[in-house]
Amino acid sequence: MSLAQPESIEDLKARNKALIKEVLEVYPEKTAKRRAKHLGTFEDGKPDCGVKSNIKSIPGVMTIRGCAYAGSKGVVWGPIKDMIHISHGPVGCGQYSWASRRNYYIGVTGIDTFGTMQFTSDFQEKDIVFGGDKKLAKLIDEIQELFPLNKGISVQSECPIGLIGDDIEAVSKAKTKEYNGHTIVPVRCEGFRGVSQSLGHHLANDAIRDWVFDKMEGKPALFESTPYDVAIIGDYNIGGDAWSSRILLEEMGLRVVAQWSGDGTIAELEATPRAKLNVLHCYRSMNYISRHMEEKYGVPWVEYNFFGPSKIEESLRKIASHFDDKIKEGAERVIAKYRPLMDAVIAKYRPRLEGKKVMLFVGGLRPRHVIGAYEDLGMEIVGTGYEFGHNDDYQRTTHYVKDGTLIYDDVTGYEFEKFVEKIQPDLVGSGIKEKYVFQKMGVPFRQMHSWDYSGPYHGYDGFAIFARDMDMAINSPVWKFAKAPWAA
Amino acid sequence: MSELRQIAFYGKGGIGKSTTSQNTLAALAQQGKKILIVGCDPKADSTRLILHAKAQDTILSLAAEAGSVEDLELEDVMKVGFEDIRCVESGGPEPGVGCAGRGVITSINFLEEQGAYDGVDYVSYDVLGDVVCGGFAMPIRENKAQEIYIVMSGEMMAMYAGNNISKGILKYANSGGVRLGGLVCNERQTDKEYELAESLAKKLGTQLIYFVPRDNIVQHAELRRMTVIEYAPDSVQAGHYRSLAEKVHANKGNGIIPTPITMDELEDLLMEHGVMKAVDESQVGKTAADLAAIA
Amino acid sequence: MPQNADNVLDHFNLFRQPEYLEMFEKKKKEFENHHPDAEVERVREWAKTKEYQEKNFAREALTVNPAKACQPLGAVFASLGFEQTIPFVHGSQGCVAYYRSHFSRHFKEPTSCVSSSMTEDAAVFGGLNNMIDGLANTYNMYKPKMISVSTTCMAEVIGDDLNAFIKTSKEKGSVPADYDVPFAHTPAFVGSHVTGYDNVMKGIVEHFWNGKAGTAPKLERVPNNSINFIGGFDGYVVGNIREVKRIFESMGVEYTILGDPSDVWDTPTDGEFRMYDGGTKLEDAANAIHAKATFSMQHFSTEKTLPLIAASGQETYSFHHPVGVRATDEFLMKVSEVTGKPISKELTRERGRLVDAIADSSAHLHGKRFAIYGDPDLCYGLAAFLMELGAEPITVLASNGGKLWEEQMKQLFASSPFGKNCTAYAGKDLWHLRSLLFTEPVDFLIGNTYGKYLERDTGTPLIRIGFPVFDRHHYHRYPVWGYQGGLNVLVWLLDKVFDEIDRNTNVVAKSDYSFDIIR
Repeated sequence: MSLAQPESIEDLKARNKALIKEVLEVYPEKTAKRRAKHLGTFEDGKPDCGVKSNIKSIPGVMTIRGCAYAGSKGVVWGPIKDMIHISHGPVGCGQYSWASRRNYYIGVTGIDTFGTMQFTSDFQEKDIVFGGDKKLAKLIDEIQELFPLNKGISVQSECPIGLIGDDIEAVSKAKTKEYNGHTIVPVRCEGFRGVSQSLGHHLANDAIRDWVFDKMEGKPALFESTPYDVAIIGDYNIGGDAWSSRILLEEMGLRVVAQWSGDGTIAELEATPRAKLNVLHCYRSMNYISRHMEEKYGVPWVEYNFFGPSKIEESLRKIASHFDDKIKEGAERVIAKYRPLMDAVIAKYRPRLEGKKVMLFVGGLRPRHVIGAYEDLGMEIVGTGYEFGHNDDYQRTTHYVKDGTLIYDDVTGYEFEKFVEKIQPDLVGSGIKEKYVFQKMGVPFRQMHSWDYSGPYHGYDGFAIFARDMDMAINSPVWKFAKAPWAA
Repeated sequence: MSELRQIAFYGKGGIGKSTTSQNTLAALAQQGKKILIVGCDPKADSTRLILHAKAQDTILSLAAEAGSVEDLELEDVMKVGFEDIRCVESGGPEPGVGCAGRGVITSINFLEEQGAYDGVDYVSYDVLGDVVCGGFAMPIRENKAQEIYIVMSGEMMAMYAGNNISKGILKYANSGGVRLGGLVCNERQTDKEYELAESLAKKLGTQLIYFVPRDNIVQHAELRRMTVIEYAPDSVQAGHYRSLAEKVHANKGNGIIPTPITMDELEDLLMEHGVMKAVDESQVGKTAADLAAIA
Repeated sequence: MPQNADNVLDHFNLFRQPEYLEMFEKKKKEFENHHPDAEVERVREWAKTKEYQEKNFAREALTVNPAKACQPLGAVFASLGFEQTIPFVHGSQGCVAYYRSHFSRHFKEPTSCVSSSMTEDAAVFGGLNNMIDGLANTYNMYKPKMISVSTTCMAEVIGDDLNAFIKTSKEKGSVPADYDVPFAHTPAFVGSHVTGYDNVMKGIVEHFWNGKAGTAPKLERVPNNSINFIGGFDGYVVGNIREVKRIFESMGVEYTILGDPSDVWDTPTDGEFRMYDGGTKLEDAANAIHAKATFSMQHFSTEKTLPLIAASGQETYSFHHPVGVRATDEFLMKVSEVTGKPISKELTRERGRLVDAIADSSAHLHGKRFAIYGDPDLCYGLAAFLMELGAEPITVLASNGGKLWEEQMKQLFASSPFGKNCTAYAGKDLWHLRSLLFTEPVDFLIGNTYGKYLERDTGTPLIRIGFPVFDRHHYHRYPVWGYQGGLNVLVWLLDKVFDEIDRNTNVVAKSDYSFDIIR
């Protein structure tokens, strides 16, 4: 049974408090104490959301989180299309993450591009017992022979690699030398490291620093720099997001020299330290390398948000503020150009979505970044949380959420189900593991990792799709059939 | 057929564990027992004295060649040596690579699935050093070894290892059936060695099963890759091993759940027997130079 | 501006608009440092040659696009077949996120499973505390009737002992002492998902029959006339199990399905989320010991389970994922022989209908050349059916097939004139298959969703049969077993055959003459 809808902010906060208390009752005492720190209500004026984050998940609770390998191979490295990414260890990890993240790219797959392929060392018992370094060395030889146009190789460690003490760095160095400086990047992203995907992002960023940037000195630049060179950082081109973002940056007069890492190439990574500005979308997964480029190469970085016209306008102006008037005018021109489209989209969809309540639980940047897009459509976020956020994410979230929003960090299957059951939102936005749970409950749902196989959602072109998809989810006739007419 | 008895020998490296176990088992074999030795040391030298040869084809090396253990047959890995003792070596990686512990798990699973224990009176696991990881604890899991014999001497590190192994046994003793069978002291001729071994056994709640005196004949036999039992069956030393074997045989069901002691207690024990000198607490952490300055 | 509010363009139309095409071209030219097109073309052509195939088949270390997953996935599958059971995977948590996603993408259903969330400290100190806390949390939160424990490769490498850990957890009060916590070690670096299924099924049977890890007396078998049925790891489990139940009921056979996730992976949308639904009742799993015989539909999913069951005194029979007339005949006749129940009139009629359908359509399949890949038993069943239809399973490949499977496939090929030119490839992957499809072309390819890359690269039309199928909906709801299942497979094959004929004859003023309205 759902609770009565609260009338005032005070009611709302009291309701959330009661709800959290009720949910915690199911846990053994020790677990309840630990989980209590991750659940809360946002209070206006506070510097963060009042929850602890980036802490180990509790055994047995059904966390939604993944692992460091997922963060490195699945998120950061996997989309770099002209490299071959080896899932180093047993067959499963590479299999389950094979092409499932929808990082769009263009290329001749299997010949000069390798994004939707699964390369693995398929560890057998003997590789565990005797170590896998010899196998890795041979495997790299085989890649070089069968996939001669690859521009680099990354070694994505699965759990056993760190446990059996393989020296993948030594193998990578030796093979780089043997193949005349070919880029070979070992990444220590074993799944048991850290508490979530997040450490995998960090390790992957560090690997770019150590094995790409530090080894490219002396390589000639492939193009002449211009004052308007920028790099898109932290956009994985899911459903084409980076493309519908890039087109706007180019339209305002900037030149995008690199995409990190959706539809990206090793050449683009190497070119990035020469950019004038790094524009950072997913702060969580790529702030590390952005900071490094600022410190070492003096490239400043700016966070932006390309979900929904309000945030896009704000972001275009923010990015333009780092450049001269030509670009500032460009930004205004772009804003003006797309305003009729945005007005039309909002005119069409807002009446159908006005006042609808949304609960989110996603990774990276989305638990806050998409809020503006929903609000552009007149929708309200009543609860949000991060799968693997840190405190700096929750601090940034304060600029997005309203007083009294329910906050849940690393939510468990049980908690999420109870929260939704009690709050009865009109839409839940989360992942594939959650999708069917809520749909069974009769609650409209959109996957907010993969865009539910739709997208792009970034940029003006993406917002039209976003608006249509939310309407499609909420106003689908199917939800009216959930209860049989003869059922009580 | 009598009920299968599974025992294991653990002990610090270099303590003479393999020598002691092979001599004991050779003596048991002479008494008509059917024996299987499972070497769980990557060095694969747990059956050398029985087979007169080192580094036979190990389970793991053959499995690596064939592809996986599923491709192996029992005959490929099982060798028969002195007094029809059946021998298998788990084998494992070179030092510093891979995971030897996992190798032990793989090998023992393989042997069980292949029915290697059928028709045997004794299975003896000879396990490297300490219970350093889950793999090396494999022989003490449920339905594996019922009694563990710790081979030790009067040296501090050997006793320390013995105490550690007891901790490993304790961990599994509650959930499974593993027990500490007792200590076997290999004489090193350190001070008050016998008393020390007895005291440690007492502290651990067990008994000193046997005190094996030091005798050069052991080395003579080893040079010829033989047990003393085979090399010089009439020697006094062979008699000792036979007595040890009888003790082990008679010890069935007498194992206990050990009561390992703390490091401090162990040090106290050593001090009590004068092996370690008591140190003034105020001198702890002081260099020789510091102490000279104070003096 | 390509986008508009009246007709919102999706990714597949949006990115074909000139603005985007121009942008892509510029990106490639200026920043990607791409290889010259001619060079890409040269390598692309080279990769189709026999020479490339030889190098490709000489691979020893590298696996590319394998058609297999790891043991723990099968472990979760098997665990979910029991009433109110939560699979509990001891090891790293990311693995569990992957298994849940993988199953949800195939079945379009929720998949509940927990992890003991082991991290770096557990890697060093062992995961006992994770087990103790994890079992307590799962038990309290999700109120399962049973928690079925398996492992990831992490727990296996460090050598955690499930038996001891579970006992200790019970002593510490995580779950009651007599609570059912069967377990199986399922190292990801041994075998594949079918091995994991086997290990867990064996672990559960052992648990209930052989004294629940020493906490209860072993069951005494009192033989009765019922049979047990084990389906194995099966992407069509929802449709198949229901069909098998219908078949048994039609014959009046007393039966127990050991491992039945057909309800939990097919719950209704009616306002309620059912974390648990259906499944083999725990008392039925225990009582299954008294059965006369156990039937396994997939030999390689039960290689260890069946010998354990046989040791209880039961007869055991295994099949190779029977599809079609003869394989179903053999299955039903064996069931009939063992139970003494005649094959029902209803089933006999269904058989006749399947034969009728084949007679109607076999002209379109006769002599057609197929490549098949998938799990070993599925490959066998499909290859046998194709030969029954007069088609030739030229290339049959199982990444998780072994020597025994290869031998059995050879015998199958030898049993029919349509198997004359056919070859089985054990332990090979889809990049090997890619070479074969170039050097030894076939008319159609049968495989899972990943086969679409092969279809694109080699032009071989893909018929999606297998696991996982992510990009087509609801096929898992249809049976492929029984005569009805055979009919479904026949229709799927024919649909593709006809679609291909139409696709190849739809050019106006060029191939009008073959674009027939009646086929």
